[in-house]
Amino acid sequence: MFLAPTVVLVLLFLVLPIISGIVISFQQTTLSGETSFVGFDNFKLLFREERFLNNLRLSLIYVLGNLVLSVPLAYFAAILITSPEMRGISIFRAIFLLPFITAPVVSSVIFLSLTDASSGPITLLLQQITGTRPVILADPNLAMWTVIIHSFWRSFSFIMLFLAAGIATVPTELYEAARVDGASSWHLFSKITFPLTKIHLALSMLIITMWTLQDAETVYALTRGGPGYSTEVLAVRLFKDAFVNFNLNLGAAIGIILLIISILFMIIYLRLMRVET
Amino acid sequence: MKAKKGIILKWIGVIIIAIFALSPILWGLKVSFTPRYEVSLIPSRLTLEHYRYIFSRPEFLGYLRNSVIVATGAIIIALPLALLGGYALARFHFPGKQFSFLFLVFPLLPLIAVLVPLVTYLNRMGLYNKLTGLIIVNSVFNLPLAVWMIRNFLVEVPIEIEEAAMIDGCSQLQVIRRITIPLMVPGLVAATVFIFITTWNNYLYASALITKPSLRVLPQGILSFIGTWGTYWGGLTAAGMVALAPPVILFFLFQHWFIAGLFGQVMK
Repeated sequence: MFLAPTVVLVLLFLVLPIISGIVISFQQTTLSGETSFVGFDNFKLLFREERFLNNLRLSLIYVLGNLVLSVPLAYFAAILITSPEMRGISIFRAIFLLPFITAPVVSSVIFLSLTDASSGPITLLLQQITGTRPVILADPNLAMWTVIIHSFWRSFSFIMLFLAAGIATVPTELYEAARVDGASSWHLFSKITFPLTKIHLALSMLIITMWTLQDAETVYALTRGGPGYSTEVLAVRLFKDAFVNFNLNLGAAIGIILLIISILFMIIYLRLMRVET
Repeated sequence: MKAKKGIILKWIGVIIIAIFALSPILWGLKVSFTPRYEVSLIPSRLTLEHYRYIFSRPEFLGYLRNSVIVATGAIIIALPLALLGGYALARFHFPGKQFSFLFLVFPLLPLIAVLVPLVTYLNRMGLYNKLTGLIIVNSVFNLPLAVWMIRNFLVEVPIEIEEAAMIDGCSQLQVIRRITIPLMVPGLVAATVFIFITTWNNYLYASALITKPSLRVLPQGILSFIGTWGTYWGGLTAAGMVALAPPVILFFLFQHWFIAGLFGQVMK
């Protein structure tokens, strides 16, 4: 009974919209506001479109890029903040987490000024290295890198917290025994830390994958999906179609596709976790 | 000797990561206090001109006010519901309880996909372009995790204390009010901080539900400033720092509870 209001609200605002989202995605609306059922037309339209296939590809690059950068640093940071001999480390844990609690729009503004074409320090640094001054966000590759690094900066500490929780459960005797046997740091990591924190890793990777997949805010704020469509991930495409161009039918169709991809990812991760346990 | 060297290396690692995490924020802070048209890395003097400028803009004050209203409203709606729901999950056995893990799955789903039909609904209900609509959406979308956070803290409170009060003749609601809530302070604070930060920082729901300029919340406002101010980074970063301050202050005050609330499940 106490749970009833929550359950009703969640049904009303999450489950019901998903159902009507499916309905809308099979419809088309004319300019005069009349809707008609068109079957899979919206989906067929999308999958025949070069731009949409590129949206899909960029979403995968975005997710993979973020994970590939975040996970190693997160492990490194997690091992550091759980070291018993490090005194006063908790203040650093809080500092590492600052990017995570910064509003996406705020960190985007900061990254925009970091990559500003005339005064941005990153721009000037690249100029020192390469000799020419790049306009970072006007270059398709550099723009995508900026988007990925921005998310990496925002999310590594979240994975770090999960891994630190996992490391905390490993009995310290294991490490001591291995050290006595003369194991190297790499051995300690690959033979003890990593196997015993796989579940924590998979869980945090699942969450970050979901968040990166549905992230429209940071990409939209940084690049609006540009230059051209070169950073237009699926979520940004959805955002533009539905809330900027007000094509709700197409937006709903992309939403359903995004939902299916998310559920697929979830199943894969959960399978991986079950195999481990 | 070898152990000491190890510790030094570890501290170097910590400091490098801290620089990585902090430098963008410090850069934003620096730009917001640097006079316009000064480009050197270390400014010759600091200025409050950008802060004075943004606080002299009525539209910025409007965004700030809207953000405060929406975040407070979301807390007022979501917190009592989360308390009841979290209590039920922690204390009662009821059919369907095994599905409570869905509370953790829902927040992972791409809510952006849900927004499209939701906007149509809210429009029909007259809640489009209303702060009330935005408050409701923020409350509901934060509710599952808030319920879960409170549940995690509650499982820690021994049920025997409540049972003793029941035997002394308290009703279930009296028990919650007199016994459980005082013991629950950390959980409630964690949930409040969580709801505040996510609502305050959110741009997506606002941009889907609010198109009227006078009703924009802070993140929307800042993004619109990029459009109108171009590369006036002093003003933009100053606005960003104002938006950043409340989450950072709350986080540093309550980080222990906040982290325990978010990670209660895995931190054990």
